[in-house]
Amino acid sequence: MRKITGFLIFLLVFWCSSAACGKVYIDINSPAFQKFPVAIPEFKNLENPGNEKKLSTWFADQLSHTLKITGFFKIISKDAFLEDRNSSGITTGEIDFSDWSSIGSDFLVKGGFSYSGKNLVVEFRIFDTIEGKLITGKKYWGKPEEKKTMVLKFTDEILMALTGRGGVFDTKIAFVGRKGKHSEIYTINFDGSDPVKITAYNSLTLVPHWSPDGSKISFTSYKDGNPDCYIINPASGKIKKISSFKGLNLPASWSSDGKKILLVLSRNGNEDIYIKHLDSGNFQRLTTAHAIDVSPALSPDGRKIAFVSNRSGSPQIFVMDSKGKHIRRLTFEGSYNSSPCWSPDGTRIAYEGSSNGRFQIFSIEENGGNLIQLTFEAGGAESPSWSPDGRYLTFSSKRNGRERVCVINSNGLNLRVMPGISGVESFKSPSWSSHLNLY
Amino acid sequence: MRKSLITLILVFVCSLALIFITGCAKEQSVKGDVGLTQAQAQPSAEEVAQAEKEAALREQALKEQTLEKKMLAEAAAIQDIHFAFDNYDLKPEARALLGELADWLLEHKGFEATIEGNCDNRGTAVYNLALGERRAEAAKTYLANLGVSNTRITTISYGEEMPADPRNCEDAWAKNRRDHFIVFPNK
Repeated sequence: MRKITGFLIFLLVFWCSSAACGKVYIDINSPAFQKFPVAIPEFKNLENPGNEKKLSTWFADQLSHTLKITGFFKIISKDAFLEDRNSSGITTGEIDFSDWSSIGSDFLVKGGFSYSGKNLVVEFRIFDTIEGKLITGKKYWGKPEEKKTMVLKFTDEILMALTGRGGVFDTKIAFVGRKGKHSEIYTINFDGSDPVKITAYNSLTLVPHWSPDGSKISFTSYKDGNPDCYIINPASGKIKKISSFKGLNLPASWSSDGKKILLVLSRNGNEDIYIKHLDSGNFQRLTTAHAIDVSPALSPDGRKIAFVSNRSGSPQIFVMDSKGKHIRRLTFEGSYNSSPCWSPDGTRIAYEGSSNGRFQIFSIEENGGNLIQLTFEAGGAESPSWSPDGRYLTFSSKRNGRERVCVINSNGLNLRVMPGISGVESFKSPSWSSHLNLY
Repeated sequence: MRKSLITLILVFVCSLALIFITGCAKEQSVKGDVGLTQAQAQPSAEEVAQAEKEAALREQALKEQTLEKKMLAEAAAIQDIHFAFDNYDLKPEARALLGELADWLLEHKGFEATIEGNCDNRGTAVYNLALGERRAEAAKTYLANLGVSNTRITTISYGEEMPADPRNCEDAWAKNRRDHFIVFPNK
């Protein structure tokens, strides 16, 4: 596996206009949210102006790319730029802000680079063009190959300054990739980079779930014949079989301390929800109904479990307490609702439900109120999973007949289809990791 | 009557094989050297008896194998049974097919069966694993009610993961919502 580097970057200077610092501009999760219009001209070569044009362009393009991925920014086209590049600079006094506000760009990112020995030194600044002042600026110092990390770090700074919280570029999505009759677990970064094959069993391997600290992934594999449950450390590739009863052994959510796993067993010919205590190895049965009970999802505070049951005839979502008591039905709309997943703040549950013959993603408040349909995909949408900050959801959706992993903002906008992986035909069952300190 | 016919056919096949083998050997000896002719000594009466005994054993094994293959072929012809969407109730035609399978299994005690439960690809992968399990278990229970011992039947669910027809249309979905049967001799 790829070794994580990128810790060599040192922050040299921190500028922050005290008025703008920490100011949260707009509620970005509202469906009425208008994207921040931002212009990102080419970065300046501060020592040899005009040299290394490629790097100047790369920084502007890469930052545009990462800001666009967040779904919160509208990147102003370079064709609209009015500024005279030669007479302007990258600091407040060297910029005519009316050049930018007049083309509708409320924000402007300026940057420049130079070398210190073999190291690249890059300055980034974001300005409010209406008020004509600096919002925040940073200077990074590192190896030239760490330039993408610098861009990601400054993207985080921008998000922090404008929205009050950083991004999720240090998270990964695990999913099932299928070729022919075999499927394996893969991971990919939030920005669609660095796909990694985690398992290689030439069998059916399914339903990955990240542990809360991101160090392990639970899954089911038929590699020994029966659908048994395993835990893998994706960094070392070490696996451990944790449940192998006859019948289904399907892992679902972990407890926040990583010591317990909710799972579904059909050892008695009846699919029921159990807790596996990883320290003692003990199983604790939570449901006993004769119905199918699957897909348990533990609330972030660990006190409630949403799950799917057909006890009332068709698959519907129910909520019970963590001991399997006080069961109540949550969904009443539609004849098939499944795959519940709690938002990280514990207020909402995303799930898939059938709507006009297709499955789409919905979210509902934990008390059953305020039902919202989030996707309207022609190819349907299944298996939602929230990002750790609750600002995004990932799910699978058919594109040209093949399932792909997609990401949307939690207000239902800004759909992004994750890139394919060569040799893999379809992708499903995505699970979003916690922050992994990737850079 | 039938047995003797099979024996006759087997003898015929064996003699054909013998002719073929000797034919090959001849071709070899044409190219051969002195050492080869030396090896062609007369076999003793004991050796002849031993060879005949071995041939009889081989013939017996071959016969059994043919019979087993025939049974397996019959067993392999057991049709899939199909289900309605999000449902694991056995339809009348499924019950009829299971009745035939039960008869066959009751007649052939030396065989076991695995029932593979499957779903179409609509709905959740996890829920479909449970649904596939229910479909397989429904067939197993039905066979048990007809007298086939539980110990001879195993079930496994593949959920939506092993479609018989990978297309996304009602035709394919209907084919994929199925129990598939694998019959094999017990060890």
